[in-house]
Amino acid sequence: MTPAVKRPVRRSRLSRTPIWRILFLTVFIIFVLAPLYWVFVTSIKPSDDYLAIPPVWYPDQPTIIHYTAALFDYRGLNGLINSLIISVAATFLSCLFGTLMAYSLARFNTGGQHLSFWVLSQRFLPPIAIVLPIFLNYRALGLNDTHIGMILAYTVFTLPVSVWMMFAYFRGMPRSLEEAALVDGCTRWTSFWRVAVPLAAPGIVAAAVFTFIACWTEFFFALVLTSRNAYTLPTVFRAFLSFQGAQYGEASALAIVSLVPSIVLGVLVQKHLVRGLTLGAIRG
Amino acid sequence: MAEVRVTDLHKHFGAVHAVRGINLDIPDGEFTVLVGPSGCGKSTLLRTIAGLEEITEGEIAIGGDVVNDMRPRDRDVAMVFQDYALYPHMTARANIGFGLRARKMPQAEIDQRVGRAAAMLGINGLLDRYPRQLSGGQRQRVAIGRAIVRNPKVFLFDEPLSNLDAQLRDEMRGEIKRLHQEIDTTMIYVTHDQIEAMTLADRIVLMRDGVIEQQGAPLDLFERPVNRFVAGFLGSPKMNFIPAKLMREDGDRIILSDGISLALPRGRLSTNAAPTDVLLGLRPEHISRAGGEPMVAGTARVDATVDLLQPTGSRTFATFSLGGVPVIAELQAHDVSRVGEKIPLVLNLDRASIFAADSEKAL
Amino acid sequence: MAGSATAVGTISGGRHLPSARQSDRRFKWLLVAPAALLILAISIYPLLFSIWVLFVNYDFQIPGHAFVGLKNFSQVIFDPVARYSLWVTVVLSVINVTIEFILGLAIAMALAKTFRGRGVIISILIVPLFISPVIVGQVWVLMLHNPFGPTNYLLGQLLGYDVTIKWLTQFPWNFVALILADVWQWTPFMFVILLAGLTSIPPHVYEAAELDGVGPWLTFWNITLPYLAPMIFLAITFRLLDAVRLFDTIFIMTGGGPGTSTYSASFYLYTIGFTQFHLSRATAGAWIFMVLTLLVIIFLVRRLLKAETR
Repeated sequence: MTPAVKRPVRRSRLSRTPIWRILFLTVFIIFVLAPLYWVFVTSIKPSDDYLAIPPVWYPDQPTIIHYTAALFDYRGLNGLINSLIISVAATFLSCLFGTLMAYSLARFNTGGQHLSFWVLSQRFLPPIAIVLPIFLNYRALGLNDTHIGMILAYTVFTLPVSVWMMFAYFRGMPRSLEEAALVDGCTRWTSFWRVAVPLAAPGIVAAAVFTFIACWTEFFFALVLTSRNAYTLPTVFRAFLSFQGAQYGEASALAIVSLVPSIVLGVLVQKHLVRGLTLGAIRG
Repeated sequence: MAEVRVTDLHKHFGAVHAVRGINLDIPDGEFTVLVGPSGCGKSTLLRTIAGLEEITEGEIAIGGDVVNDMRPRDRDVAMVFQDYALYPHMTARANIGFGLRARKMPQAEIDQRVGRAAAMLGINGLLDRYPRQLSGGQRQRVAIGRAIVRNPKVFLFDEPLSNLDAQLRDEMRGEIKRLHQEIDTTMIYVTHDQIEAMTLADRIVLMRDGVIEQQGAPLDLFERPVNRFVAGFLGSPKMNFIPAKLMREDGDRIILSDGISLALPRGRLSTNAAPTDVLLGLRPEHISRAGGEPMVAGTARVDATVDLLQPTGSRTFATFSLGGVPVIAELQAHDVSRVGEKIPLVLNLDRASIFAADSEKAL
Repeated sequence: MAGSATAVGTISGGRHLPSARQSDRRFKWLLVAPAALLILAISIYPLLFSIWVLFVNYDFQIPGHAFVGLKNFSQVIFDPVARYSLWVTVVLSVINVTIEFILGLAIAMALAKTFRGRGVIISILIVPLFISPVIVGQVWVLMLHNPFGPTNYLLGQLLGYDVTIKWLTQFPWNFVALILADVWQWTPFMFVILLAGLTSIPPHVYEAAELDGVGPWLTFWNITLPYLAPMIFLAITFRLLDAVRLFDTIFIMTGGGPGTSTYSASFYLYTIGFTQFHLSRATAGAWIFMVLTLLVIIFLVRRLLKAETR
């Protein structure tokens, strides 16, 4: 994250970082990194090593067998592919529809405050309240445990994020460019498509990444709405619940497979993180 | 090329009544400047002509066609925006040609017209740059190029120079004036800067609070303002307004609060029914230092003490107290040497304006 | 006849272009339509449908959809586990958000001034935000495992005797474990927003305070906090509304247990609905839960929106 305000470097006592601050930050960084290190190191430990006392801090003979086991024996690969299909498709739809709606809200104040509040409130409804009725309806429509069903559910569940992020983005863009296009001979649609959308591209990319991460890491909807066919990566972890330690290598390997892509994407767009987390309410 | 006619135009923004019954007739080829303080409705008026704002009531016609319900693209107008509104993802060339491409003109003709417009503005060498690679003045030229390339019926300018620094502004002002002489198309130009208005306009339309206060040739407005607002808005430094009493016994006389009595030239007041409480409006350039020359008819002589001096080099603005209010005079550079000096002044009452104190209308 | 026909002709036949006003209106609603229709179909319609479910028997263990009146509600309301789970949700949410806020604020203040390596530290600290809560739960299961996890071992080394805390099955440690996972994942949320707030405070305000000889404690209470107040309000609101959904980590870490001791509201409703298949009862509970959250949403988010449009 780039600091919004560059402070002048001051040579007073303030520029020296006090020792307690370094200490505090170090402890917290260790707190954040230790579990990540542990899950990684568990994923490459031979099975004997992760059932050892004292714990093995780094294995003598790292192995990748847990990765192959997790992907193939525990059908992690299917989950990975399903997650990819569902997340990409839902991200595409969410950002497409979200951008359209956000533009309308930002430029025409469509539906006044009510429409935008209604969309926002979707973000805060408890998922259990939505997922039960969706489950019942999907059952009637035969959409349970299908990719389409999951894509639609994820699109709706991420629309508040994409709509509000893009809403804030469009409101920060000068109107005069689109007005110039209108006078120049564009219709409302072409001035949107050929002027506003290219200008909003960085915002759309950021919104897409956050939408993707939200889909990729989602668990609850997937748990309820999928079983054998369209199950996503996070739901595969159910398989390790009953084994009490025996499958920790596989679980860790799968965790690494799942968390690396979203972390990389997330860190890449961290410039937009504040907008993403607050749905555009804070510029960051 | 077309005349623009605005009839009984009203525009509401929610509860705000931004434009309140504007009637305006702009002949073909005229350079009209809409001027007024911020919030007077001049920009809104321009934007309704462009079609960027819906009108609440009234009618706008361009070239005889009522355009009320026309989309901006169908009105055949071009507009130059205050922030230039160049498309940052397109080169200068693509920016200028965008309107032609949007209208599906063949590429060869677009290239030719873009080239001609660029030559006119002297920006041939910049065509392959992106807006972020251009200076403010260059961006402004590209924005103007984007307008002239379309060869529209009417040009609209929305404060196009206010983002430029003073020197560039003077230069571009001349450029725009030259452009109008060359292409001779109807231009409507919005500004809050009275100097731009005076220098550019064939006709000034001076607005306040959504209505037109006065319109006409620049010098007409300058010399014969219909009210105190118009008189005060045009000219820099502003016209001095001195509260006074009007005596109409033997010839018209103006009595200032400090007892100074000034005889008005015969026939200066047109009406017979004039109030006693008036404002004497004197522009700084109509006050000068008295030399040894004999009194000319229509002038008056007073002595005053200098309170403040602001030399500009060629001229010196001196502030006096006259009739109980500070009055600024535009003197020759060496007319006064120090504060506190008492000097004789000549007031050119022939050129003075007189307003009723209550209605502020010119008498 | 001929005359009136001409008159009509001149009025309506003048132009065939669509009115700009109408086409704008059509355009703006067309843009909104796909998203709005999708929300209506996938979120609102099922919610309305579920109103019917509230008052009938919709239970995979009992056939038929007989009208049962308010029985579904009474079953939830008079279920002690339901009330207990709501209580757990509220307490855990408040504890989580409080710890995350305090820690987040401390980190944000420690990072407010630029120094070398600050960017890298920030990049590291935000990583937990991008990890699925399920995986966070799984990771903490590994960390806290008794006896093979590193936590008990390190605690033992530190304290000098064998530590055998059963983190996931022993009160109160099971709650501590849940809090640990939540704090680990969501403290960055607070810190990122508060840091944005801190860096947007104009530095000259602090410089003025320094010149006036105001001490750090007064500066914090009188400058930093008032400036941050809107951000704090927003961060806590957003975080709180997410915290009450607490489900994923419970599912993976404690499974609600031992017994029903770590049931959150979401976990309770999930169990009723999807392991016992009392769908009507779960729907009734979900509605109660939703109405409770909606009250909070309307109160907090409305205020947020107002603050923003101001």
